[in-house]
Amino acid sequence: MPTTFWGWVSLLLEKYGPLFWNGTLYTMLIAISGTVIGFIIGLLVAIVRTIPVSPKASIVKRWGMKLISFLLNVYIEVFRGTPMIVQAMVIYYGAMMYLGLRMQALGAAIFIISINTGAYMAEIVRGGIISVDKGQKEAAHAIGMTHWQSMLHVVLPQAVRNIMPSIGNEFVVNIKDSSVLNVISVSELFFIGKSAAGTYARYFEAFFIIAAIYFVLTFTVTRLLRLLEKKMDGGRNYTICGSQSDSEATITIHPEGDVPND
Amino acid sequence: MIEKQSILEIRHLKKDFGTHQVLKDISFSVFGGDVISIIGSSGSGKSTLLRCINFLEEPTEGTILYRGKDAETLNRAEYHSKVGMVFQSFNLFANMSVLANCTAGQKLVLHRDGKEAEDKALYFLSKVGMDAYRNARPGQLSGGQKQRVAIARALAMDPEVLLFDEPTSALDPEMVGEVLSVMRTLAEGGLTMLVVTHEMSFARDVSSRVIFMDQGVIAEDGDPHEIFTAPKQPRTREFLSRIL
Ligand SMILES: Nc1ncnc2c1ncn2[C@@H]1O[C@H](COP(=O)(O)OP(=O)(O)OP(=O)(O)O)[C@@H](O)[C@H]1O
Ligand SMILES: [Mg+2]
Repeated sequence: MPTTFWGWVSLLLEKYGPLFWNGTLYTMLIAISGTVIGFIIGLLVAIVRTIPVSPKASIVKRWGMKLISFLLNVYIEVFRGTPMIVQAMVIYYGAMMYLGLRMQALGAAIFIISINTGAYMAEIVRGGIISVDKGQKEAAHAIGMTHWQSMLHVVLPQAVRNIMPSIGNEFVVNIKDSSVLNVISVSELFFIGKSAAGTYARYFEAFFIIAAIYFVLTFTVTRLLRLLEKKMDGGRNYTICGSQSDSEATITIHPEGDVPND
Repeated sequence: MIEKQSILEIRHLKKDFGTHQVLKDISFSVFGGDVISIIGSSGSGKSTLLRCINFLEEPTEGTILYRGKDAETLNRAEYHSKVGMVFQSFNLFANMSVLANCTAGQKLVLHRDGKEAEDKALYFLSKVGMDAYRNARPGQLSGGQKQRVAIARALAMDPEVLLFDEPTSALDPEMVGEVLSVMRTLAEGGLTMLVVTHEMSFARDVSSRVIFMDQGVIAEDGDPHEIFTAPKQPRTREFLSRIL
């Protein structure tokens, strides 16, 4: 038996290396799926909540929209107002005991983290939509675009761009918070940590390793996201094309990248 | 005598915001080739009038006829493509290049193919002297340049009437001229225009007709020369003496 801290760490790594690795993969899989699916849920919820209802619309349509928007509000409030660890227990055991549904742990974990993230994302996306200057939407209408066209081509691309930092933040939060899903026995990092610690009762060393892995993950992801944002901020330069009608036409500023068309 | 058909006819237009009656009873017609300047003090309802004509605000009462047909019964997209709008704050699509700003509506609303839309966009961009900036983003342009692009974007839809809401009010003084000169060229080219403006020289020298609005009604409507030299209404006289 090792007698030093590093001795225990290397023993655990030797014995459970592949397990730690698997836990890391599970954690990343859960965090990535949760963020992506949660973003899609949030996007859809926010889009539905911003559908304009003209006062001239039929009564069925107006009340229908009111009901839908009420239900979506309930979803957002409930999932933002309760801890994910509790949501996990309620959903997992609720499905088992009352629906006779024995969810597979990984599937259940992804399901729970996705709807939880979706509730946060819905508010983030809504903020992003609101942040796009109203004038652009009016200009889109003024040239005849429909609500959907202006959302798809003008508002959402800018909204999503504006909320990229918040989406990245949710991802980092999900890497860490997926640890609570150990309560439904999904073999993510925290769960692996518990198993690895158990055999020799070396909780400190096992969770020291787990902490280091979490930190490397979040640190790396944070840097990568920052790089990505910088890249998206690029394209500040542009080429002035040749023209007879403009005296500055000879100036050429080389762009960093292509300026996308749409 | 055959009566010339109007492009737009506004009949008894009213607009309330809550209890605030902003437009009280507005009626007038716009004929092909008209360049109408709408003047009046702040809060008199000029912007609201343009916004109602373009259905950015729903009129409370009254009708807007487009070539004799009730505009409310027309397809919105089609009506909008016929009645274009240029805003005080430019409102260019920030996520698109200058060129894409001018092609998006053509492709999405008029279903023109890419090549046709681009050709048309470049034609109007060169008219406003902005074709060299086709790949620039709105954020990289000066105010005057943005407004010229916004004008090209509106023109690319082949509108029959173009509404301008104080197109130079958000500009630094040195950029007002470049936008006004584009508008002057358009007016001389026969484009039908409805221009809310505080530029009295434009109203006097370029427009074919001046509408003076006061507190939600048209107080005076007539020939620019007459309105500027011999206004009939005391309130027009009072407004002009304040502003000139
Ligand atoms: N969305 C709105 N809700 C409530 N009141 C409004 C709204 N839009 C305009 N108003 C009111 O209507 C009145 C007329 O506004 P409008 O913008 O049409 O004036 P204007 O003649 O264009 O003035 P300016 O020269 O300052 O642009 C103002 O009193 C304004 O406060
Ligand atoms: Mg105004």
